[in-house]
Formats: sequence, structure tokens, C-alpha cells
Amino acid sequence: MTRDIAIVGYASTPPQTEVRETETQMLFPAVNEALERAGVTRKDVGFTCSASCDYLSGAPFAFVQTLEVTGAWPPISESHVEMDGAWALYEAWVRLHHGDIDVALAFASGITSRCNWREVSSVQLDPYYLMPLWVDDVSLAALQAQALIGSGKITEKAMAEVVARIRGGDAAALLDEPYVVEPLRAHDTPTMTDAGAAIILATGDKARELCEHPAWIAGIDHRSEAHYPGVRDLTLSNAARIAGEQAGVGKGPIEVAELAAQFSHEELLLREALGLGADVDVNPSGGTLASNPVTVSGLIRIGEAANAIIDGGRKRTLGHASAGPCLQQNLVCVLEGD
Amino acid sequence: MAAEASWTLEFPYRRSLGPVVGGFFTGLRDGKVLGSRTRDGRVLVPPLEYDPETGESVQDGLVEVAETGVVTGWAWVTEPMRKHPLDHAFAWALVKLDGADSSLLHALDAPREAVSTGARVRIRWAGERKGHITDIACFEQENS
Amino acid sequence: MTDQQTDEKVAFMPQMVNLEYRIVTSPIHQRFDKQMREGRIVGQKCPSCGLVFVPPKGFCPLCAIVMTEKDEVAVKDTATVTSFTVITPIQYQGQKEREEYVLANLILDGADSSIGQQRIEGIPHHDVRMGMRVKAVWATPEERAGEEGGGMRGWGLTAAVKHWEPSGEPDTPREQYQEHIL
Repeated sequence: MTRDIAIVGYASTPPQTEVRETETQMLFPAVNEALERAGVTRKDVGFTCSASCDYLSGAPFAFVQTLEVTGAWPPISESHVEMDGAWALYEAWVRLHHGDIDVALAFASGITSRCNWREVSSVQLDPYYLMPLWVDDVSLAALQAQALIGSGKITEKAMAEVVARIRGGDAAALLDEPYVVEPLRAHDTPTMTDAGAAIILATGDKARELCEHPAWIAGIDHRSEAHYPGVRDLTLSNAARIAGEQAGVGKGPIEVAELAAQFSHEELLLREALGLGADVDVNPSGGTLASNPVTVSGLIRIGEAANAIIDGGRKRTLGHASAGPCLQQNLVCVLEGD
Repeated sequence: MAAEASWTLEFPYRRSLGPVVGGFFTGLRDGKVLGSRTRDGRVLVPPLEYDPETGESVQDGLVEVAETGVVTGWAWVTEPMRKHPLDHAFAWALVKLDGADSSLLHALDAPREAVSTGARVRIRWAGERKGHITDIACFEQENS
Repeated sequence: MTDQQTDEKVAFMPQMVNLEYRIVTSPIHQRFDKQMREGRIVGQKCPSCGLVFVPPKGFCPLCAIVMTEKDEVAVKDTATVTSFTVITPIQYQGQKEREEYVLANLILDGADSSIGQQRIEGIPHHDVRMGMRVKAVWATPEERAGEEGGGMRGWGLTAAVKHWEPSGEPDTPREQYQEHIL
């Protein structure tokens, strides 16, 4: 049985370079505001799914403390993903299909300022062939960027134009900057931040009761391709393309697309994979390039795409999340307004 | 008290390898490169245990490929990070060894001008090999 | 062929993962540390449910209400043991303990949340019991003023208070602490 499920509330904390308070304290405003915008209290939530990555803080089960943001007494039904919050939202969406509850909460926190993410990112890789080389995420992204440039699909100039659009500045001047890992320059890589975000989902009539313009999840899908870069065609994002097809991106015009492109070339690749034309407003929020709290980034993209419908008068938007090296895993969420 | 402290999280693992990965590392220890074969005859180096296209197990037995090959992708690291394989500027390279149908990712020690898709390279073996991906110290130009 | 070739297959691979982290002590923990150095144990009392939590978290974990310094209340340095264990220290590399010792969960007088990992001294291990009354043995003011002992996360309870010892008072009846075992 499938149900109509919508996003009825979303909030994220302003990204910080370095948060000083505890992770739970950081999360409180996001969860409180999302609940308030949705018009529900913690007692109304039937299922909670949270997202974070213990490797950001270097402590196992670090996420357990952040559960206190839910006021878990009496005990609540909850789950956790060591992934981007977009997958916590996916799990909550699946749970709501069981039919016995009407409201779910998905939240995510990411404090990236305690570690060297470039180095930590190596630890998620194939332990036999890749991790011992400590090849980092910027290096892997650079391999994909070079593959795209070498194939003629994109140019460094097009990458600079993405950066100029999001960060401001002149694209030509950006090309004078030195490489970090050629062909990526520092501005092609994401600004790492600390942030938290929360989304409230509700079903059918409950969503209509709570929200004047619910952002209905018209389609949501996630796909993963092979992990090892040497067996992949890095000029394509098959996983994003298939996830987009399965989520129904092509069934109608997309007005706003929030893409979790951490690197400038990823936006160009994802536009092509998802079939987004020049008329689509991509990452009006600044996207993941402007602020990357890692495990929160995809949830923020979906939340921003939802707000475009809830508050922004739009009718059809999409939010995207990714994980793994070179866009290995992708989630696409298509949202529609009434 | 100090508002900040630094600490090192360290944990040792001993990973079991199985016949495919273990076979590949045994080959590296012995100075040769082995790959796995898919049902339709593609040779995967480094060997994966399952065909990434179909999900099927690879065929029994590994086949030998050459120590030389061609660069199929690259990225140039201006300033190596502390744990990168080399401590001077180098390239990450995807290398399709002669006889293989997939590419191996490793470091390439060569001047920037020599790094390009299509460049011919060969393995530089580590002095002491133990059955590890770093038995390949890095790649170097074929004609150097 | 190399002189390293043997017939033995490579079956295992060692892997050392080491990563560098920064621990940042949050303002609320720094404040608690400062209060402990001054010889005061301070908790936060929730304006909604009235429960007192120590160390303070900056929120009530049951009501999910944010709390601040204005919610601070003093908590005594006498307590009841709600549970305990006798640790036999395994001599792993880096272990500093050599003899058996007792760690206990305590409910401080004036608090509603229990604190764990508190060391009990001054009594044979087999005489330690649930409900036993204890009092804090503080480090001297000079010791508390130093940089040492803050621990990685800068807390006060296992440094400013060195350990707890029996106070000699009659045991607390079980009904009074049975909801605070952990």
C-alpha cells in the first residue's frame, strides 16, 4: 500500500565554521523550528530517524547523545543511519508506508570542524585497494573532473562559472587561482561547515491539516554504482540518472533543483544525468559547494527544495543527496505542490 | 583548563583476504600482477570478487597481466597530504595494465608534463614486498 | 621471481587506522569545570518538570527544553550509591591501574540524574552496597587550580573530586533511589 506523504516542516541551523557548543545543543533550534513550522509537537511524532557519522567526532556511538534532542520519554520509536540525513528521510518515508503512524521526524547533524575531513574520507573506501593509499575525496573528485574535461564534456571555464554563480566573483579571475589537486582549485571544493537540520513528514489528510502547501513526495529513489573508480565510467553518473528516472524527474518540468554537488564539476555532471535544462534554478540556497556539513548536506537540499513549495510558490522541485567516491551513490527526491 | 585538546584515534585491524584479494596480494608479493575474469572474459585488475556489471562471482583462478600499461585518468597533487604514497608532487593515475580491461588506481611518480591520458607507464615495485597494495610503490614512466 | 617468493599464500593484511581529532570543550562544560574547581557542584533544574540534572546539559532531556545559567541550582557533595561494580584491571598497554577498585553510580543529594564512573575508596570492596551513603573527597584547591586533571573533555567530577568515601550515615532505603539505578 502506498500513501501520500509530504514534507510539512523543515529547518536548518545557520552553517558555522566551528560550533563551540555540544552537538545536541546545536541541533535544538533546528528540531524545534521544524516542529513549529509543521505545527506538531514531539508527542505527535510516531517515528524518528537520525543521521550522523561517528568518524566526524572520532567517538563510537557519538550520535546516541544527540537523541536527547527528541525528548525521548516515554521511549520513542527511532532508528539511525550512519549516512546523510537524506537516507534518514528515506527510512522515515518507508516507515510511514506501514500505515499505522502519520508523522515522522528525520534529523541530521554534522560537525566537520573536529577532524581533517579530507583524511577521514579515505577511511570509507575499499580497505584493501584504496584506503592504504589514503586517497582522499578531493583527489577522487579531481579524477572525475579530469575525466569529464578530458572527454570534452565540460571545461574548467564552465566549472568556474558554477563557482562564480554560487560564491560570487568573476569566472575568468577564478581561473587564475592555483590548483589544489588539478584540475580542482580551492574554490571548486566545498566549504566545510558545522550544522544540523530537521524535516517533518506527514501523510495524506494529516499533511493537509498541518500545512497549506505541503511538498508532496511524488517520487524518491536511491541507487549506487560500483565502488572502485577503475571499473566505472567517471564521465557519467549512472546511479544519479537511474535514481532520477525512478523518482520520475522527467515526468514534468522541474523549477528548482537542489543538488548535493560538493564540487563544481559535480553540478555539471548531475545536470546532465538528471536532464535539467538551463531554465532550472539550480542550488538557489548555495548548495553543498557553499556549505558542506557532510552528513546534513542532502537533507538540507531536500528541505530547501521543499521550502520552495511550502513557502515559495513553486509546484515541482527536486532535492538530491550523494555518498561515496565520485558520486557513487545518489538519492533523488521529487517534490510537488498541489 | 584548556578549552581544546588534540588526540589521535588509532586502531589496528587484521583483515582476512579470501582467495581473490589474497591471490592478488600473493601475486604482488611475488612480483606479478594478477586479475580476475568475468564470465564474458573481461579481466579486472585489481581483481574484484564479483562482476560489477552482472553481480555474478568471477571465474575461478586469476590470470596474469603485464607490469606495463596506459594511463586512462589522472589528477595532479601539488602538495601531498601526510599519508599519501609520495612526499613530493605526484599524480593519482588510473592505469589499465596491458591485458586488463579495468584500471588500477595508484600514485604515478613522473613530472607534470609527462602525465596525460594515454601515457605509457610501468610498475615500480617496492623493495620489500609483503602482500599489500603498496607492494606497488607507485607507477613511473615506461621509458624512464 | 624474487627471493621472497614462498609457497605460502597471503591470507591476511594488517591495517592501522589513525586519525587526528580536536576535542573542543563546550562553554557549558567549561563552566561546570570552573565551578568544580571552585569546590561547587552545580546542576540545572528544568522549569517544566522540576528535575535537576548534573552535570548540566543546557537542556532537559525529558522535556526537550533549553536551559541556561538562570536554571542553575546547587547540588550537594554527598550522595547515595545506586549501583556499583568491582573492576579487575586488565593489564592492557597503557593501563595505569594495578589493583581492583570500585566504580559506582551515585545520585547526589539535590540531583535527579545519576552520575557514573565515580570511584569509591576507604571501604573494603565487598562491603560496598547499593544505598550506601558517601561524601566527596575533593582535590586540594591548589590541585584544582592546575591544568592537570581536566581530562580530555575538561569535566570536573573525576578530577576535582578524587573519589568518594563512606559518610557513616544510615543507608538510603531502596524505594528512594530505585528509579535512579543507572
